[in-house]
This record gives sequence, C-alpha cells and structure tokens, in this order.
Amino acid sequence: MDVLELDGVRLTLDGNAGPVEILRGIDLRVKEGESLALIGPSGSGKSSLLMLMAGLEKATGGRVAALGQDLGAMNEDALARFRRGRMGVVFQSFHLIPTMTALENVAVPLEIAGVTDAARLAAEELDAVGLGARKGHYPSQMSGGEQQRVALARASAGRPKLLLADEPTGNLDQANGASIMDLLFGLRDRHGATLIMVTHAPELAERCDRVVRMADGRLAPGDLA
Amino acid sequence: MRLALTLAAREMRGGLSGFRVLILCLTLGVAAIAAVGSLRAAIEAGLSDQGAVILGGDAEVSFTYRRAEREELDWITSKADKVSEVLTFRSLAVVGQDQALTQVKAVDQAWPLLGTVGLDQGTLEQAFAPVDGIPGALMEKLLADRLGLSVGDRFKMGAQEFRLGALMLSEPDSAMAGVGLAPKTVVRSSDLGQSGLLAPGSMYESHYRMVTGRDLDATRAEAETRFAAKGLDWTDRRNAARGVERFVERLGSFLVLVGLAGLAVGGVGVASAVRAWMERRVATIATLKVLGAESGLVARVYLIQILGIVALGTLLGLILGAGALRVVLPFLTAQLPFPVTIGLYPRPLLEAGFYGLVTGMLFALWPLAQALRQGAAALYRGAGRLWPGAGWLAVQTVLLVALVGGAVWFSGNWMLTLGTLGGVAAVLAVLWASGWALARLARRLARSRMVNGRPGLRLALAAVGGPRSEAMSVVLSLGLGLSVLAVVGQIDENFRLAIARDLPTRAPSFFFIDIQPDQTEAFIAKMTGNPAVTKVESAAMLRGAVVAINGAKPTQDHWVLRGDRGISLADAMPEGTDIAEGAWWPEGLTGAAQVSFGAEEAREIGLKLGDRLTLNILGRDIEVTVTSLRNVDFSNAGMGFVMVVNKAALAGAPYTSIATVYAGAEAEAALLRDTARTWPNITAISVKEAIAKVVEALTAVATATVAAAGAVLIVGLVVLIGAVASGVPARVREASILKVLGATRGAILASFALRAAIMGLAAGLVAVGAGAAGGWAVMRLVMDLPFVFEPVSAVLVVSGGVVVTLLAGLAFAAVPISARPAGVLRTVEG
Repeated sequence: MDVLELDGVRLTLDGNAGPVEILRGIDLRVKEGESLALIGPSGSGKSSLLMLMAGLEKATGGRVAALGQDLGAMNEDALARFRRGRMGVVFQSFHLIPTMTALENVAVPLEIAGVTDAARLAAEELDAVGLGARKGHYPSQMSGGEQQRVALARASAGRPKLLLADEPTGNLDQANGASIMDLLFGLRDRHGATLIMVTHAPELAERCDRVVRMADGRLAPGDLA
Repeated sequence: MRLALTLAAREMRGGLSGFRVLILCLTLGVAAIAAVGSLRAAIEAGLSDQGAVILGGDAEVSFTYRRAEREELDWITSKADKVSEVLTFRSLAVVGQDQALTQVKAVDQAWPLLGTVGLDQGTLEQAFAPVDGIPGALMEKLLADRLGLSVGDRFKMGAQEFRLGALMLSEPDSAMAGVGLAPKTVVRSSDLGQSGLLAPGSMYESHYRMVTGRDLDATRAEAETRFAAKGLDWTDRRNAARGVERFVERLGSFLVLVGLAGLAVGGVGVASAVRAWMERRVATIATLKVLGAESGLVARVYLIQILGIVALGTLLGLILGAGALRVVLPFLTAQLPFPVTIGLYPRPLLEAGFYGLVTGMLFALWPLAQALRQGAAALYRGAGRLWPGAGWLAVQTVLLVALVGGAVWFSGNWMLTLGTLGGVAAVLAVLWASGWALARLARRLARSRMVNGRPGLRLALAAVGGPRSEAMSVVLSLGLGLSVLAVVGQIDENFRLAIARDLPTRAPSFFFIDIQPDQTEAFIAKMTGNPAVTKVESAAMLRGAVVAINGAKPTQDHWVLRGDRGISLADAMPEGTDIAEGAWWPEGLTGAAQVSFGAEEAREIGLKLGDRLTLNILGRDIEVTVTSLRNVDFSNAGMGFVMVVNKAALAGAPYTSIATVYAGAEAEAALLRDTARTWPNITAISVKEAIAKVVEALTAVATATVAAAGAVLIVGLVVLIGAVASGVPARVREASILKVLGATRGAILASFALRAAIMGLAAGLVAVGAGAAGGWAVMRLVMDLPFVFEPVSAVLVVSGGVVVTLLAGLAFAAVPISARPAGVLRTVEG
C-alpha cells in the first residue's frame, strides 16, 4: 500500500527576482514501511519536496496524497490536525521550543493530540533516546546532538506512520550524526513507520531501502517511481 | 579610537530599526521632563516679570484685623510715590432669600496702582458710581451666576446694599488672597461705612501697596526694625506670589520626578532594546574577535553606537518637549491664573538632557557589558547572562550617583527627590521581584499535573516561565504606572468614603464668624431655641502670632508658629475639654496671663508646662505662660483651638466670637436666611460647601496625579509594545513548530492570548498590592483615618493590565499565526 502519492507535483515560489520554479513535476510513490532517501545537490528541491509531503507547503500544481488523504484539499488547520499522530518531522536545526524543557518539548505533540498520559510517554521516549537524565533541561542547556535527540523523541512520540527528516545530521559532527542515524532507524523499526529522509551523506542514504536523486526540481532519470 | 569610530559607523549603516523602542522611550521621557521644566521656568519668569503687577505695587505691608495706625501710615506714605489701601475679608452676598459666601476686596480710589481691571462693560469709575444712592460693586461671574445677578441688579453685604456695576473678568493684583474658598466681590471701602462688616474684632486684613523707586531691601529692613512688634507683614515684587511660587516649584519638582520615573520605566525598554540588539550582533562580535580585535576595541565600537543612539533619543526628546510646549503654551496661558512668559529656557532643557543621557546610558550599559563579557558561542546558545565586569560596574555606579546627585541638585529639595526616587526604586524592586516570582511560579505550574492535557495552558505558562520570557518586561513596564493609578484609586475612594460616611454625622452645618460681643448672647439664645438645632458651640476668638518662646524667636518650622493663628479666650473651662497635663486656670483669673496649648502640637514644638510664649495680637505683645496641655480633635471639623488664653489677659482687645451650629440638613436654608436677616454682619460658612471645595481640590490633585501616572503608563506601553514586538520572530518560529506538531491556528492564538493575559494579570495584581499598601499607609499613618480595601478601583486596575497586554499581544499575533511553517523552518534548501 502506498502511504505517499505524488502526481505531477509543481512548486513555484515568489522570489525577489520574480517567481522561482522549485519543483517541476514530481511523480513519486512511497510504500508503507519503506525507507527512502532524497539526495541531490543544494537547490535541487529536496527539502521543498519534504515540506510538501508534510503538508507544510502547498503545491502550486499536481496532487499530494498522504495516507490516502489529498493534502491539497485541506486548509492549514485541517493539515495540522491531520499530522497529529500520523506524521513526525525532524529538522536539521532541531526547532525545539526554547521556552520548554526537553520533557515538555516531547510532550507537546501528544498533548495537542489529546493524549492523557503525555508526560509519561514523553519520558519514555526521552529514555529511549538516552536523555532520561536531561528531562528538565532547556534546549539552550543542551548540545546540538542532544537537541536533535530530543527532536527525534518528539517526532516519534506520537507513533507516527510517516517519519520525515530534513538533513537530521546536517548540523552535527560525525559521531553524533552516526548516533542520531542509529536512533532514527531504531525508532522507525520499533514503530514500523515509513521513513523519508533528505540527506547529503551517501553513507546515510545507503542505509535506506531506496534512494531517489533530485536535480533542478525534478527526479533524476531512473528514479521515477 | 578612529578604528572604533569607523567600525561603528559601518555597523550603523544598517539603520535604526532595532532602536525604535529605545529612541521612543528616551524621547518621550525626556520630552515630558523638558516640557514640565520649561513650563515651570515660563511661570517663574512670568511671576518675576509681572511681580509688581500681581502684587499691586512694588511692595506691600499688611496687618491682621486692623488698619495701619497714623504713625505707620505716615511712614508708608513717606516711602512711596503712590499708596493704595486694600481690605480683604469674607462676607455673605445676599439676594432676597438667597445668599453666597464671597471674598470681599474693599479698595480705595487709587486701586489698582498697576495694571488694569478687566470688566465686561464700562469703566471702573462707572462701575463703582452710586445709582440712586446705591454704590456699585464688581463681582466675579461665577458668583453673579450663582446668585442669578445681572449688571444693575442689587444685593446686600452686611447692612449695606450694593448694585452690581460690572462683572470682573480679570484683576491685575491676583497674587493676594488668590486662592480663597469663595469668588470675589470688589467694593470701595468708603461704601462700607454702614455695612457693619468692619466692626472692631472682625476678621479682616489690610494691605498697603506702594509704588516706590527706593531700595526694597533697605525699606524692608527699616519697616521690620521700626514696626517689629506691631505684626507688620512685608511682601515685595520679587516674591509677589509666594504661595503660587512655592506651589509651582513644588509641583514642578514633583512632575519632573514623575517624568524621571517614566524615564526609569523607559530604561527597561532601553535595556531590552540594547540586549536584543547585542544578541543580533553576536556573529559580528565573534568575527571581529576572530579577525584579531581586542575586547577593548569591540567595547568601544558598541559603546560609540549606544552613546550615539542615546544622544539622538535625548535630542529628539528635547526638541519635542520644548516644541510641544511652545505650541501649547499660548492656549494654556489663558487657562492659568498667573502670568507666563513664553521663551526658550536653557536650564530645564539642560536638566532634561542630563536625565536622558545618564538614564539612557545607565540602562544601556548593563546589557552591553553583559554581552561583551559573554563569549559569542555562549550568547548564540542563549546561555545564562553573566554579571558585567568590575570596571563596568564601577561606571554604572558613577552614573547612578550622578543621576541621584543631579536630581537633588536640580530640584533643590533633597527630601522630595530622595523620597520620590527611593519610592520609585522600591516599587521597581518589588516589581522586579514579582516578575521573577511570576516566572518561577509559571515554570513550576507548566510542569505540574494541573496542566496535563491542556497544551495551550502549558505553552502559555512555559512561555511566561521559560528563558527569554517577556514576564519581567511586562511587569516592570506596566507595573509602575498601574501602581500609581492603584494608589490614587484606593486613597481617593477611601477619602470620599470617609467624607461621605463620617463627616455629616460629626461635622457642624455652619461656622458663624464675626459675632460681635453684644450679639453673642442673643445669637446663642436664638440658636438653642430653634428646635432644628441640635447643638451650638461658641468661643471668643481673635488672631495672633507666636513671636517668641521663652523670650527667644522660635526656630522650629511648625504650622502653629507660621503667621497668625486663631486664639480663643475663655474663663471657665469649655465643655468637653480634655486636659492631658497641667490644670485649667481658676475662674475669674486675673494677673499673669495663662495659655492652654494643644498637647500634640506642644510635643511637636517642644513646649512644656511653664514655658512662656510671647503672642503678638493686633500689634501688641502679650506674654502668657503654658499652664495646661489639652487633647484637641481637629478631625470632626468642629471647634478646635491650639491656643486658649484666659479672658482677663486680653481684656480690652477687640474680639469677636465664632460659633458652630449643628442642625438637620432640611433646616439649614431657613437657619441661614434667618441669621442673615437678623444679624447682617455675621458671616456664615457652610461646612458642606467648604468640604465640597476641599473635595474639588482633592479631585484636581488626584486628576493631576492620574495624568502624571498616565505619562508613565504611556512610556510603559511603548516598552510593552517593544517587548512584544521583539518577541515576534520567536513566536513566528514557535507557531510554525506547533503547526508541524498538529496545533491549529485557533489553539496557537488562544495560547498567545493566555500568556499575555497571565502577564497582564500579574502586573495588575502587583499594582493592586502596591495600591493597597500605599493607600493603607496614607490613610492610617498620614490621615489617621480608617482604611477599607476598595475593590472597584482594584478590579479596574487589574482588568486594565489584562486588556492592555492582551491587546498588545494580539496586535502582534497576526504575523506568527499566518506564517507558513515551511518558509520559516526551512534551513537548507535541498
């Protein structure tokens, strides 16, 4: 079963020098439980494609469907509700809420989804990423690797069916990066989620079931699926 | 330094966008101080320029309860080119059944020596000229309207009938008795012969104005030497309106200090702006260091920029303050009861500029020093702030000392300055502690079980309690202004309550003054015979000044020792007398004169039994010995004399009696009519009307204070808006993350509103606490009245705090709510 269906997806953004065509017709299918790496040079449209899959960006053409739902038909709030418990997103820059402790950051998506024992589940997720002792710490009191681990715990706390990661190791050193990848794949295995990851690192891409190369807003020949 | 200037100039090319709040805070604070200071200077200059006109001459000598004696008049005439005599007293203007209290000014043909009288019609001669044998009079419009009089209508004062000759629109010699309880009537003193109003012992003052080219100091010295024992009071054009001058000086100093409080609140905005600006400069600081810049150079680069910005804000404030006053003053001049000379006054501008620069730098240097001490990486992570280094702390201390020292020097009143600055510092300290406590409490609550399953509330509490919380800025910026409002609200309501609840049951209906000795018995008999009258008290009195204690001129500054005071005469101990110490004199005492003194006042002055006082009464010195001390209650507006002298001691002195009459409200009008008809020379003062005047005055003071608090609030609002605006990028990011995590826009907006409301509520509650404490202190410790917490003004203050923060928060919510998460969160375009 396909959890993601992209048909002729186009994205044009307004730049200072006029409209910029970011994606020029993407057709892609992702199966349930599959892990997929999006690679390609900078500016090729990888992150934008990931944002479209997460419903954080609206396609200007074509169709994006996730878990059988047409994302283009939903407004911003409907998309927000749709993500609850279905999608987890990890960013290169972690994007933790600076005013919240590690535990609170992980608990937020669960609380938003109305999960009653959010704090307990969040604590379990933090234990799972090895940060059981840092629950009360603010992001500013943690290293980059630790912050990304909190972000991973937050993304997986709602047991999402789709795990989307945008350069999750891009801001980390090699050792931390490897550790994060182990955790990411471990979480994906534990929860049986579908993983889609943007990366520049070939060795990370090789750990995925499938690698899709992008160039100039298109999928490279041979990667059309 | 050249390199630092070059680097600073390059940095400033980015514009002033990060400094709008800082500049606005300083500009508003400095403008308020500059405007108030310039207005004070304009009034002082006006009083100085017009001193002779508002006094009515170059110099004036005045006497209480008597006119100048032959010898005194000869001396005055010998010293002056022109002389004019003016008598002042209070009386009732009666029209048929209606009457109103008026301040009477009885003048001679020479009045006014200087300036002109503004009349609604005709000349002064025409206005005073008798028509059908009825002399003319001038009246202020307020009084004529009150009595329904038009020009040509008749009214009585005492036994004399007058014709309203003209309405007096302005009087040149307004310095004298300018602030009375009643509007004025002006008559010729030669027309008062039949009125019975200036009988011996009546309460009046005589003033002799002189136009003279002589040296005023020498003339004054001569007058005081020659007539020292005669109760002569000297005033000249250099201090013509002593009361007004003192009032303007005090009020000016107070308002400047309130402006300084506004600057202190603005300082919070200055500090926030500099902190935010320094945080945006992290990368530049790091780069400068990487490129080999020493920390001294980095410090100079940023110090130059801060100094430039603070100077710009101050300069704009001076221009705004002086400019706004220039625009408003011509309109204001017509409203002020004293002359104003419009001009540009350097001293108040210098003062405001000094405050702006020192306060601006005081608040700006702290975050600058913190940022410079912190490593760039630590700053980037938003790690905890360090204390500034010792050198910076020393500079801060010097600035603080300069600010306080400057304020004392400029105001010339160290007690008022240190009291106000101390109060402001204390309130700011309490607010700071409250902001800190609020953040701690919010942090605890955010982690408590109470908020489980309530992500909106948790988000709000976490934002209030977390790092970079706006709580401190909001509580500090709004708290001070709201606290002043809360204190005024509590005192105002309590005072009104005390007047409305307590006074009518305790205070008399009327004071009757100028009851002649031969009228006293009949007056009291008539009053006690009236079934509507519940109580009558009367006392013989005259006025006199304490000129010596145990033979030496008193040095204490106490109200009893300032000028003339009412002195009562008694033989037997009056009913209700409460002797605290000593004993009342035996009835019919003759020989050495004795005085019974108020116990509390005696303690304050340092008097004890056996002390000798020299009283100057109608120009005569009388020595009395303190033989008893009494507890005197002034709070019920009844009869209360600090000094009571045995009757035989002042035998022969022309005294009158005053009486307090207690009657039901429904009988007051008839009582007043009857008394005015039977004894036209007796003047009735309605206690109700007097209290209404006092309430009116208190309302005006409360309004002025609220206006001053309003100025502080406006600066606070700018700081608040600045704080909220600077938090927008963080909220944009937060809203985007929350959307990724599944939060709807409504939920995010609700959370933003909730955090704003929590902070506004906290600021309001702290202000109400300060209001209750301030109100209690004033009512109990100063006024000696009961204090009741007034919930209405408290609710208004709290809801005001919530509404203001809510509006500010929601005004800046649109951008975060509508931001597209992908655009915000995309860090690397892949």
